[in-house]
Amino acid sequence: MIYIETQSHSIMQLSQIKKDGNFRVTKVNADNESVACLMSLGLLPGQEVRLTHEAPFGDPIAVSFEGCHMSLRRCDAGEVEVEAV
Amino acid sequence: MQGQTDSLRVALIGNPNTGKSSLFNALTGLRQRVGNYSGVTVEKKIGKWELGNGQSVELIDLPGTYSLSAKSIDERIAVDVLSGRMEGQPAPDLVIVVVDVENLQRNLFLASQAAELDVPMVIALNCWDVAERKGLKIDCKLLEQRLGVPVVPTIANRRRGADELNTAVLEALQNRPKMIRPAWPVPVKASLDQLRTELVEKNGEALKDGELLRLLFDKNSAVRSRLKTPTEAVAAIAQSARENLRKGGYNPDAAESILRFRFLNPLLLDIIERQANLKKRSRSEGIDQILLHRFWGLCVFVGMMYVVFQSVYTWAGPFMGLIEGATGWLQGLASGALANTPVLQSLVVDGMIGGVGAFVVFLPQILILFLFIALLEETGYMARAAFLMDKLFQWCGLNGKSFVPLLSSYACAIPGIMATRTISDPKARMITILIAPLMSCSARLPVYLLLIGAFVEPLYGPAVAGAVLFAMHFVGALLAAPLAWLLNRTLNKGRAPHPFVMELPPYRVPRVESLLWRMYESGKDFVIRAGTVIFAMTVIIWALLYFPRPADIPLQVARENGVEIMEGLDGEPVKEDIVEQFERQIDAAYLEQSYMGRFGQFVQPVFAPAGYDWKITVGVLASFPAREVIISTLGITYALGGEVDEESKDLRDAFKNAKWESGPRMGEPVYNLAVALSIMVFFALCMQCGATLAVIAKELNWGWALSSFFGLTIIAWLAAVAVYQITIRLI
Repeated sequence: MIYIETQSHSIMQLSQIKKDGNFRVTKVNADNESVACLMSLGLLPGQEVRLTHEAPFGDPIAVSFEGCHMSLRRCDAGEVEVEAV
Repeated sequence: MQGQTDSLRVALIGNPNTGKSSLFNALTGLRQRVGNYSGVTVEKKIGKWELGNGQSVELIDLPGTYSLSAKSIDERIAVDVLSGRMEGQPAPDLVIVVVDVENLQRNLFLASQAAELDVPMVIALNCWDVAERKGLKIDCKLLEQRLGVPVVPTIANRRRGADELNTAVLEALQNRPKMIRPAWPVPVKASLDQLRTELVEKNGEALKDGELLRLLFDKNSAVRSRLKTPTEAVAAIAQSARENLRKGGYNPDAAESILRFRFLNPLLLDIIERQANLKKRSRSEGIDQILLHRFWGLCVFVGMMYVVFQSVYTWAGPFMGLIEGATGWLQGLASGALANTPVLQSLVVDGMIGGVGAFVVFLPQILILFLFIALLEETGYMARAAFLMDKLFQWCGLNGKSFVPLLSSYACAIPGIMATRTISDPKARMITILIAPLMSCSARLPVYLLLIGAFVEPLYGPAVAGAVLFAMHFVGALLAAPLAWLLNRTLNKGRAPHPFVMELPPYRVPRVESLLWRMYESGKDFVIRAGTVIFAMTVIIWALLYFPRPADIPLQVARENGVEIMEGLDGEPVKEDIVEQFERQIDAAYLEQSYMGRFGQFVQPVFAPAGYDWKITVGVLASFPAREVIISTLGITYALGGEVDEESKDLRDAFKNAKWESGPRMGEPVYNLAVALSIMVFFALCMQCGATLAVIAKELNWGWALSSFFGLTIIAWLAAVAVYQITIRLI
C-alpha cells in the first residue's frame, strides 16, 4: 500500500513545476554544471523546493529552497527531478 | 621582529551578498589598494587593518564565491590564495569567513571547504541585526564549540562587531584554531590516498590534502593546471581516482555536496532558534511579486531603464558643458600665453588641452552611470534585471547580465564596457565588450544630425528625417546580434557554457558611502588608465594634422586671393571678416598639406567606392581618436574654421556646393543622399574612439582592442560601400 502511495506522487522535472505547491528533490544530475552549482548551495535529494517566478519570456525560472532564492534556466532545471510533497 | 609582525596576512572570504566588502571597508577604511591578479580581470583588493598595539595585518578581500570548486576565475583565485599558490605568496596566516546568519548552512559549506586547506579560521556572523529583526537567534557559543573556531557576530554596514572581531583575530593568530573537518568515508579516503601516492610521492608535487580533494571532487579543477606534472598525466590520474570513487558507490560530482551537507546538518542542530513571529513571507518576496511579475515586472524594468538612460544622457549634459567650457577657457588662456611660439601653442591648445578635454568630457556620464549601476546592484535589482532579460540574450551565447552594459553603451561605450565587470561568465563578458562599441553612442548624434539636416530633411521632410535618425540608432545593434552569435560560435569552441545560475538576493537599502565609493573608483580608473593612452593618441593625431606646415602657404593663399587682400592692406583699414576669411583659407591649405591631409588624398581611392572625396577621407581619418572631430575637421577643410557645429548653416551650404575637384566625376557635387547615408553608416559601425579602444585594451588586452578596431573598421567600410552603391542606383 505504502509503495503504491509513493508511486502516486508523480516524478517530474524542476522545469515543469507550477507556482502552487511544494516539491521535494528526488534526483539531481551532477554532470550539469549549473546543477552542480545549486548542489553546493544545498539543492540535494530530500531538499524541499518551490517555484517563485517565471521570467516574462518563459525562461529562466526562479526557485526558492533553504533560504536561497536562485534563478536558473529551464534547460538546467530539467536536470533536477522532483516530486510533489 | 617588526618585519615578522608586519608580514601577517589575513584573507577574507564569503558567499556573494554576505556584506563581505562592507566588512572589508569597515576594517580597513581608506587604507586599501585595488589591483588585478596577474593575467585575469579579477579585482585584487588589499588593505591594511590596524589591530591595535601597533600591530597591523594585510587584509586580502577575496572575490565572493559559493564554493571553492574552482570552476570560475573567482573560485580559482580564492583556492590559489588560500593554498598559497598565488604569485609566490605563502598561504595567509588566517582566514576570516564571512557568513550570512540567515543562510548559515550554505555559508558554512564554503567555510568547511576552506578548512580543508588547513588555514586557521575565524567566522564572522554577519547581518546579525537583520536576523534579529526576523526573529532568528543563533547560539554562537554552541556553534563555536562545535566548529572549533571563534564565531563573532558582526553588523558590517554599521561597523558593529569590529572590535570583537579584532580581539578574536589577535587571539587566533596565536592559537591558530582550525575548523572541524568531516571524516570522509572509506572510498573517498582510498581515492585521496591514491592521488597522494601518484602525485605527491611519485611526482614530488607539493600538494596539501585539501588541494588533492579539489582534484578528486572537481571535474576540471583549476588545480590541475598549476602542477609540474603534464596536464594530460594529471587528468589521467585524477580520472582514475574519480573512477575508483564511483566504484566505491559515490558519484564524484555529487559526493562533496552530499557528504559535506550530511556533515554540517547535525552540527547546526539546536543552533538556530526561529521565533514564532517569523513571517512566512519576507518583504523581498512581496516586492518581487511586482518586480518579477511577467507583465508589471517588465513595465517597471523598461521604465527604470528609460530613467537610467535618460539621466546618463541629460544629467551629464550640464556637467559636460561645464567641462567643455573649462577646456575652452584653458585653451584661450594657453593660446594667449603661448602666442609667440605657434608650434607650442598649437600643441598645447589643440593637441594637449583639446585632447585631454575630449576624453574628460565623458567623466560625468561615467560617474552617473556608475551611480545607477551601484544602486541597481546594492539594492539587489541588478540580478532581477538579468533574470527578466536573459531569454533575449540566450540564443547568441550572452545572458541577461549583458543588457545593462549594452544599454549604457547607447550613451557612451566607455562606461558600458566598464559595466561589463558585473558579468561573471568570462566569455559572455568578452562578447559584450566586443559588441558594445556598435551601440550608437551620443557622440555619433552630431554626425547624424548634420547629415540628415543637410540631405534627408530638405528632400523628404521631417518625418523621414526622424525615421532615419531612429534607424541609425539601430544599425549597430542589428549588426551586433549576428556578430555576437558568430563570436560565440567561434570563440573557445571547446569550452562548456558557463552555468547561468544567479542568486536573487534579498532587497537592501543601499548605503550612500558605498555608492560614492563606487563612483569614485570608476572615475579614478577611467581618468588614470584610459587618460594616458588617449592623451598619447590625440597628440599623435595633432602632429599629423599640424606638420609639416610649409612656410610658403600664406603667400600662396595670398597670391590666389591676391587682389582683394592687397587692396585691404593698401588703403582702407583691413576688414575683420576678410582677415578671418583669409586665415581660414590658410588653415585649410595647411590641413591639405599636412601629413594627414596628404595621407587622406593618398588613401582616398580606398574610400572612393563609398563615395568619399579626399576631404571626407581626411575627416574620417582624423576622427579615429574621437568621432565628433569630423565636424570641426570638415569645418577646417571647407575654410569655415574649426568652431562649426552640427547646426551650422555654412557647413551645410558648403556640403551642398562641394564639387569633385578632379577625377571622372569632376564638377559633379560630392555630396548627395547616397554619400550622406554612407558616411552615417560608416560612423555608426566604425570604432572611431580612442577612449573606447583604451578601455577595451584595459578590460581585455591590446590584442582584442586592435582586432576589434580593425574588424569594425573593415565592417564599417564594407557597409558604407554597400549603402552607397545601392543608394546611388536607387536615386
